[in-house]
Amino acid sequence: MDRTPVTILTGFLGAGKTTLLNRILTEEHGLRIAVIENEYGEVGIDHELVINADEEIFEMNNGCICCTVRGDLIRILGNLMKRREKFDLILIETTGLADPGPVVQTFFADDEMKEKLFVNAVVTLVDTKHVLLHLDDSSEAREQIAFADVILLNKCDLVEPADLDALELRIRSMNALARIHRTTNAEIEIPKVLDVGGFNLDHAMEVDPHFLDGHHHHHHKDDVSSVGIEAAGDCDGKKLNDWLSKVIREQGADIFRMKGVFAIGGQPDRIIFQGVHMIMDAANGGPWGKRPRHNRLVFIGRNLDRAALNAGFRNCLA
Amino acid sequence: MKQIGSVQADDNILHIVWNGDLLAATPVTGEILVLDLVTRNVSGHPGHGLGNGDSAWFGGRLATCGFDGRVRWEGRELHAGRGMIERVKASGDGKRLAAGQGKSLLVFDGQGNPAHGLAGLPAAVADFAWNGSSRVAVVGAGGARMWKLGEESAFARFDWGGASLRVEWSSCGRWLATADQTASVHIYDFTRDYPLHIQGFDSKVRAMAFSADGRKLATGGAPVVTIWPCTGKKGPEGVTPVQLDGHDGDVSAAAFSPADGKLATGDGTGGILIFTFEGDRVLRKRLRLDSGISALAWHTEKDWLGVGMEDGTVSVLSLDA
Repeated sequence: MDRTPVTILTGFLGAGKTTLLNRILTEEHGLRIAVIENEYGEVGIDHELVINADEEIFEMNNGCICCTVRGDLIRILGNLMKRREKFDLILIETTGLADPGPVVQTFFADDEMKEKLFVNAVVTLVDTKHVLLHLDDSSEAREQIAFADVILLNKCDLVEPADLDALELRIRSMNALARIHRTTNAEIEIPKVLDVGGFNLDHAMEVDPHFLDGHHHHHHKDDVSSVGIEAAGDCDGKKLNDWLSKVIREQGADIFRMKGVFAIGGQPDRIIFQGVHMIMDAANGGPWGKRPRHNRLVFIGRNLDRAALNAGFRNCLA
Repeated sequence: MKQIGSVQADDNILHIVWNGDLLAATPVTGEILVLDLVTRNVSGHPGHGLGNGDSAWFGGRLATCGFDGRVRWEGRELHAGRGMIERVKASGDGKRLAAGQGKSLLVFDGQGNPAHGLAGLPAAVADFAWNGSSRVAVVGAGGARMWKLGEESAFARFDWGGASLRVEWSSCGRWLATADQTASVHIYDFTRDYPLHIQGFDSKVRAMAFSADGRKLATGGAPVVTIWPCTGKKGPEGVTPVQLDGHDGDVSAAAFSPADGKLATGDGTGGILIFTFEGDRVLRKRLRLDSGISALAWHTEKDWLGVGMEDGTVSVLSLDA
């Protein structure tokens, strides 16, 4: 059964989410798009569904201490998927203050949602003029960046280039996996936000190689950061599984995203892995071909211990 | 078995409900249809934009609701608020109508005027169930709370760490059953103030129904239908439930006949099983229709089964023919 892609738009108040949404909806892309919002927009939208302003967060109570989903989303999407008329894409615009975690986890933790839908991308808009006011004080703002597959540094016309460079460096240190674009008035080629495949395991590890070498520098210490690990050779499959299980069991609440490509001893193919908080997903990534057998793993999370994660992974090498 | 009536809606049938010989069928989107089995007339009620909620008969008229945040009844708009409304239900005695919207339960009297609604609930209303004209159970994140309308606080509550999505209250008032966000069911016994949490289902429970006498609870989600005995001092506690197989797909609807206690269950492949209970024996009859079954409802007096299907067809089958 073909699953319908879902794009999640996040970003703090005034960052430009609605501007981007309107651009997407007015673009000639031929896609039939359903939009789920927290409030009715000023511009009438054909297939607009509005969920209640009170976020309805369900704890899953399934053993994952941090596993929460959006009950209202499950119901509204459940209804949408029953319709005879099908959509090519579902766009979810979250409120500026929303923690994106439960929205993203909805598509991993609920079996019905997982069966019928998949997250194509989390797109986070950043108001470059004002984001620094929020980054230090708002865990939601930091998590919106941490969860993103695509980050639009918006309102670039209002900020000096040097300040933009510094901001981009800081954001890159928080999320090494996201593709970052600089925009004004959320002007961007639409495929760069809709044709992403951020949670597609085939695209799991399109990481800036420079990030993985660990030589990036920035002067601001954020509690949210990325840790990249790279090592040649094969892993011991059992050791790797045990270690990853331990990491997510003990630190899953603080890990927003993780992605990896592994060479496992005895396995001719690449093993691709990704996770959200305590939920892991792995798949066969096809043959290594002429590529060297090389492991790459990235964690994005809060209060990550870079040295401990590196040491833990290296213990898994065969 | 003979088909004695049918009607075609524009979309997948979400819900069907009888009022005498009138059958109301609510599709996911589009016009809500009422089939009159006596005159064969079909009348339409306006839909609720991008998504309809369930419908209910109230004072002989159809009440509808939907994602447009509106409740309509008798051609009137009883409520127009912000946020989706998925359920509207009349109390068993027909004196009140309620609808859940966000953290509020809207309640209307027989004239359609607001009457002792609940506002500022701790969680959004995922579902609710009436018992009599003034007691109502509301479920959502955190479990179930039972209210006597007009009173300041809930008279009973069953808390748990997860969320409940559907609720049924047995007509005898003793049992409250919830189907949960996880693959589990809670059965609460009011006589003992005792919650039973039943886990281990293969999938989320999508179909749930009490028999008219409240002595049986049927649950279904995976292809197996489970019958929980709600009798004796402890009810289902410690008892091996009856497991009824025979479905080819996941069970999507279940309904007990109020007339003779038969159970009908339907699955996503178009299969319907009719179970008749004779002492310890369970007799099974199988029917097959052309589309996945999405809703089932028995006529209150006749051996007629209303069937809603994913392709928008609504059929009425006479089982004694």
